[in-house]
Amino acid sequence: MAVFQAALVNEVEKLYKKKKALIAVLLSLAVIVIGQLAIVGVRSGFGLRGAGSVEFPMLVLAVVVNTILPLFTALVAIDSFSGEFSQNSMRITLTRPVSRFKIFCAKIMAIVLFILAMLLLLLILSMLVGVIFNTNSGTLHSFVMTIFSYLVSLLPMVVLALGIVLLANLIKSGISVFFVSILVFIVLKVLGLIFSQYSSLFMTTQLDWYNLFLINSFPVGKIVRQFLIMLGSGIMLFTAGFYLFDKKEF
Amino acid sequence: METIIEIKELTKLYGNGRGIKDINLDIYKGDIFGFLGPNGAGKTTAMKIMTGLIRPERGDVKIFGYSVTEEYELAMEKVGCLIEIAEAYTYMSAFDNLKQLARYYPEVDYKRIDEVLELTGMIKYKHEKPKKFSLGMKQRLGLAAALLSRPKVVILDEPLNGLDVEGMIDIRRLIHHLAEQDQTTFFISSHLIHDVELTCNRIGVIYEGKMLNVESTPNILKNYATLENYFVSEVERNGRVPSSAR
Amino acid sequence: MKFNKKTAMLISFTLGTLLVATTALADIANKSGYDQLKDALKVTAEQGSEKFDSFTLDFSIALMDNGKTLMTSNEIKKYDRLKGASETISTGESLNGDKNNYQYYADKTTQIRVSESDPTIYVTEYAKPREGEVFNNPFKEDEAADLEKILDAIVGSLKDYVVVVENSDASKELEGKLTGSQIPALVNAVASYSLKQEFNGNQSNMPHLTKDVYVNSVSGKANVNKDGVMESILGTAVLSGKNEQGTDHDVTVEILVKLSGINTTTVTKPDLTGKKVVKNIARETPGDEIANPEMFVGKFNNNILIEKDNKFIKIGERIIEITQIDNMTITGRYYEEYKPGFEEYATPDRKFKLDGKKPEQKNYSGFDYTTESGIKGNLYIDEYGGKIHLNMNTSMGGLHDSTFSPDVE
Repeated sequence: MAVFQAALVNEVEKLYKKKKALIAVLLSLAVIVIGQLAIVGVRSGFGLRGAGSVEFPMLVLAVVVNTILPLFTALVAIDSFSGEFSQNSMRITLTRPVSRFKIFCAKIMAIVLFILAMLLLLLILSMLVGVIFNTNSGTLHSFVMTIFSYLVSLLPMVVLALGIVLLANLIKSGISVFFVSILVFIVLKVLGLIFSQYSSLFMTTQLDWYNLFLINSFPVGKIVRQFLIMLGSGIMLFTAGFYLFDKKEF
Repeated sequence: METIIEIKELTKLYGNGRGIKDINLDIYKGDIFGFLGPNGAGKTTAMKIMTGLIRPERGDVKIFGYSVTEEYELAMEKVGCLIEIAEAYTYMSAFDNLKQLARYYPEVDYKRIDEVLELTGMIKYKHEKPKKFSLGMKQRLGLAAALLSRPKVVILDEPLNGLDVEGMIDIRRLIHHLAEQDQTTFFISSHLIHDVELTCNRIGVIYEGKMLNVESTPNILKNYATLENYFVSEVERNGRVPSSAR
Repeated sequence: MKFNKKTAMLISFTLGTLLVATTALADIANKSGYDQLKDALKVTAEQGSEKFDSFTLDFSIALMDNGKTLMTSNEIKKYDRLKGASETISTGESLNGDKNNYQYYADKTTQIRVSESDPTIYVTEYAKPREGEVFNNPFKEDEAADLEKILDAIVGSLKDYVVVVENSDASKELEGKLTGSQIPALVNAVASYSLKQEFNGNQSNMPHLTKDVYVNSVSGKANVNKDGVMESILGTAVLSGKNEQGTDHDVTVEILVKLSGINTTTVTKPDLTGKKVVKNIARETPGDEIANPEMFVGKFNNNILIEKDNKFIKIGERIIEITQIDNMTITGRYYEEYKPGFEEYATPDRKFKLDGKKPEQKNYSGFDYTTESGIKGNLYIDEYGGKIHLNMNTSMGGLHDSTFSPDVE
C-alpha cells in the first residue's frame, strides 16, 4: 500500500508540476465568468431570469460535463500515458520496485482525483458566483441536490477516462488518441440522438446521468441500472487498458 | 558465493531475427560484471528483461531469489538501474526528479538525495531542470537515480555514454568505491572493451544474442595480452569475427 | 502468480461484460415513462383513426394569472368514423371577456356552422362528396417520424421524469413534474423567451412581464386505460416573471384533453328548420378541375373608376364575354365601354379576343391567352366565388381592378 501511495503522490505531483492543472483551473474560471456574463446579458437584454442562484451551478454542470471536463480528462489521461510512452519517461517509474498494476492504478487514481478536483472547483466557484450575482432561488434541498449532482458526475467521467486510457494504450501517438477520442465522443453523441431509446447505453449520454437524481420520484431502478452499466463498462475498460499496459514493452 | 542474479534460459526474439537466445548467467555478490558485446548483440534486450521493461518469451531472471516476471516488487527492491539513455522528467528540477523516486524507498530522505547528487557531481545543478542538461549531465543524473536507494545490485546499461574522459574516470572510481565499501554488485553493459577491462572483475561476452563465455578479468588477462584479444578469439571460436572488433 | 494474473484479468473482463450486457438488456426492456407515454399516444391515435367507430375528444385550455382566470376555451369534438361525420362544440371566454360559442358540424356532403353571436346558420353543401377520414392519425404524417426523433433528442435525459403507476386492472397513470433546476437551462431560456413575447403588454388583460421571466414548472398527468388508450392528459406550465412595477406574476397554462364515449358517441346534424340559413354550394373538387364550366358562359363585368375631386366616378365598364369554356380551353372577348363624355379614355389595345388554353401545370386553374397584337395574359376562374380574374399585361383604363363578376342583371 505504501508503494501505491508513493506512486499516486508521484502521479499527482507530475500533474501539478506540468501546469496542466493550472490551465484547467483557469479555463473553468473562464467558463463560469463567461456563463455568468451571458446570463447577465440575457437578463438585461431579454428580460429573462436566465438562472437563479441554484440553477446557475446546474447550468454550469450541464455545460462543462459535455465540454471542458471530457476535454481535460482526455488531455490529462493522454498525457499520463501516451506522453510518458513517447518520452520514454515511463521507464523512470517502471524500473522502481513497484508493480505495473500499482502504477496503472496510481495513474488512473490521479486522473480520478483530477476530475474530482475539477468538479469541486467548478461547484464551489459556480455556487459562489451564483449566490453573488443571481436572485436567490435556493432551498436547502436544491443546495444538497446541486452538490450531489456534481459528485455523481464523477462516475461517468471516470468511465470516459478509462476509455481514453484504453485508447492511449492501444494507439501509439498521443495526438491520434486525442482525435480518435473526440471522434468517438461525437459519434456516440450522434448515435445517442438517433437511437435515443438505447441512449442510456452510450457513455456520452451517461455523462448527463446526474439528472436522474433530480427527479422527484427518484427512479431507483433506472439509477441502479445506469450505475451497473457504468460499473460494468468501467471494469471492462480498466481490465482491457491494464492488459495492454502490462504487455507493453519499453 | 552468494548468487545475486540468476538468469535462466532467457529467450526473447524479435521479428527481425535479433534478440537473445537461451542465456544462462549467474552473478555473484561483489561482482562487477561486464556484459560485453557489439551493438545489437542483445545487451539491452537482456537488461530490459532483467529490469522488467520487457517480458521474456521463455526463461526467467531471479534477483535475490525473486522472479522478475512474477515478484517484481520484491525482486527490484534492492536494485538500482539505468537502462539505455537516462530519462528524467524535463519539467521538474533534478532534485524533484529524485524526490519522485525517493518516495518508493522509505529509508531514502532528502539528505540522501543531496548525497547522490554530490557523488555524481550534480549538486550544483540540483535546482535546474533536465531540459537544458547535456547528455553527460543526464547520464550522471540517471546514475544518481540508480544509486539513490543504496541498492545492493546496480544494473547499468552503457553508463559511460556521453561522458567525457574525466566523467568516465569519476564514474569508474565511484563504481569501485561502492563495490569495495558496500559490497554492491554491479551488472554493467558496454561495447567499450577497454573500459570494461578497467572497470569489471568478471566479464561475459554476448554475441548475436548468445552468451559465449564468462570469465574473471584476472584469468582472461593471464592468457591474453588484452581483453580485446580475448574477445576476438572468443568470437572467432564461436563463428565469424565481427568487423567492428577486428 | 502469473497464471493468477491472467485469470484475474479474464474474470474481471468477463464480469464487466456480463454486467453491461445483462443490465443493458434489462434497461432496453424497461421502457421509460416517456416511451410509455409515447406508446399510449400512438395507440390512441391509431385506434381513433382506424378502430373506434365513434369517440369524443374534449380539449380545454385555461390561462390564469396569479390564480385569476384570464381565458378559457373548451372544444368538444365528436367523431363518427362510420358516417364520416364530426361535430365541434366550442365554448370559451377570450381575454377581453367576450364569449365565443359556436358549433360546427361536418359530414361528407355538408358543413354547418352555428354561432351564438350570429343568428344566421351557414351551410355549405358539397357538389361531390368529400374524401378522407374524419380523424387522421397524426403519427402517420410524413414528418411525424422526424419530429419524433427531434422531440426525443430534446427530451433526452428528461425521459425518466415521467413516472408510471400501474393499477391492478392494468390501467396506468403517468405523471411527471419539472421544477426549478430540473428544467434544462437552455430549454428554459428558449421557452421563456418565446413565451415572454406573448406577454408583451399589447393585450389589455394579460400581465406585462418584463423582468426575470422563467419557466417555473412544467407538469403533466395522463391516464391510460387497460387497452393502452389514453383517456386523459393534463399539462400544466407555470411561467413566472415581474412586470414593470416589480409585481410578481405566475401565469399558469392548463391544457386538458379527454377521450370518452368510445363507440357510444353520436354525432347529430343541427336542426335547421325554422332558422335563418345561408346556403352555399361548394364545387370544390379535387385538383384544379372546374366542376361546372358552363356556368361561366356569359358576360362578366366590373366598373372602370377614376378619382376626381376626392370622389370615385364611374366612367364605364370592363366586360368579358365568354362564349365557350371547358376544362382545357376558353374563348370569348374583352372590351371596355365608356360613358358619354369619357370616350377619350378608350384605347384600341384594350379590346381583344380571348383564346385561352390551360397550361400543362398541375394545380393551376388559369388559362393563358395571347391577343392578336401579341400581348400575353391570363385568366383565372374562381369557381367558389363565381368570379373571373383577368391579369392583363397592359394597363387598364381607370383604376386597376382585375376581378370580374357575372353580369346578372
